[in-house]
Amino acid sequence: MIEKTVTIKNRAGLHTRPAAALVKLAAKFQSEFFIFKDGMEINGKSIIGVMTLAAEQGSTLLLKFVGEDEEISSKEIVGLFERGFDEA
Amino acid sequence: MSFKPGKEIRKEYITVGFLYEALKGRLKLETVTNVGFENHINDKNLHRPGLALAGYVALFTYHRVQVFGNTEMRYLQSMPLEKRIESFGTLFKFQIPCIIITDNNTMDVELVKIASDHNVPVFRTPLETTKAIYFLGDFLDDQFSPQASIHGSFVDVYGVGLLFVGRSGIGKSEITLDLIERGHRLVADDVVSITRKGEGILMGAGTDLVKHFMEIRGLGIIDVRSIFGIRSIRFQKRVEVVVELMEWKADAEFTRTGLDESTIPILEVETPHVKLPIFPGKNITVIAEVIALNYLLKHYGYDAAQEFAKKLEKVIAQKSQKNKRAIDYFEHDFE
Repeated sequence: MIEKTVTIKNRAGLHTRPAAALVKLAAKFQSEFFIFKDGMEINGKSIIGVMTLAAEQGSTLLLKFVGEDEEISSKEIVGLFERGFDEA
Repeated sequence: MSFKPGKEIRKEYITVGFLYEALKGRLKLETVTNVGFENHINDKNLHRPGLALAGYVALFTYHRVQVFGNTEMRYLQSMPLEKRIESFGTLFKFQIPCIIITDNNTMDVELVKIASDHNVPVFRTPLETTKAIYFLGDFLDDQFSPQASIHGSFVDVYGVGLLFVGRSGIGKSEITLDLIERGHRLVADDVVSITRKGEGILMGAGTDLVKHFMEIRGLGIIDVRSIFGIRSIRFQKRVEVVVELMEWKADAEFTRTGLDESTIPILEVETPHVKLPIFPGKNITVIAEVIALNYLLKHYGYDAAQEFAKKLEKVIAQKSQKNKRAIDYFEHDFE
């Protein structure tokens, strides 16, 4: 199991487009992927779940990866957060 | 290995005889001469040869069906017979396919003979010119419009034309049968012929032979009309959504929000395209119904994906209101 903390960097927050990009990336890996925020625990492969977080710029999320490819999965997904979902 | 629509085909010509057989009922056509039924028509447009009769033939579109309305007939009548024959004769320096006289006008025997001698069939219709042109134009437009044949199943679901495509054996016919059983209507199975109407409208129909028969693997050939009755079929339908069935693969990309609407060109018409991953236990029939209903909702101006995205952006913007329950319960209300 791997745990990472990330911060939302882009101005618009984790809105629909980044949420879709996130679940699409997560779906490529076997590992289970969970996100924790404000006492909520959601499955990172569920689009409605990710959008329910309504994470704005500057908010921090705890990511949890469990599975065989958790190394690569966590690296790629954390990378997506750090790039601010390739948005301004 | 994505879906590719079939090759575009266009008729090069139809014979005058074919036009006569197809339209004699609607246009109440009457044959004035009995020659030239084998002549070719290769243009969907019609021509009224007024100027050619007057002697100006520089841009005479002689290869089109020539329509003689009141103008042409009165113009000919206005001349003495000799001049009339000369004027009418001008047309036959060109190879015209046929002549259609409208509004119950009659043509002099002398003129009919000229047409006959040049192997040009002449027809008469009691319909007025505008009406006759409307029917003729509609028929020719349909005959000469681009067509393609697509391997798939075509069903009317809640009035929305869903065209199912995907590799052979993936279960298109089974889904179709399931939809029919739920009260939807079969247009064609296996071979769907698509015709482009006007600009940007696709019509799909079955072939004359296969019409409402289908093959179910392990069962053989069944006749949907006999089994499910007249309400389970229809002859043609506008193609509105292409539903592509695909085996689910971990690395294949499927839309997750529905915001990114994709289309696929069929006969150069961009048609909404849904890629549907299938796996055991997934009820494709219900999903197909939802695709149709969601298409209708969008058509009526409500896009669920966009509404959700808007709502989310609002919630992100007002930070305090976060993660509220959908409803605040009343005290002591435990239901």
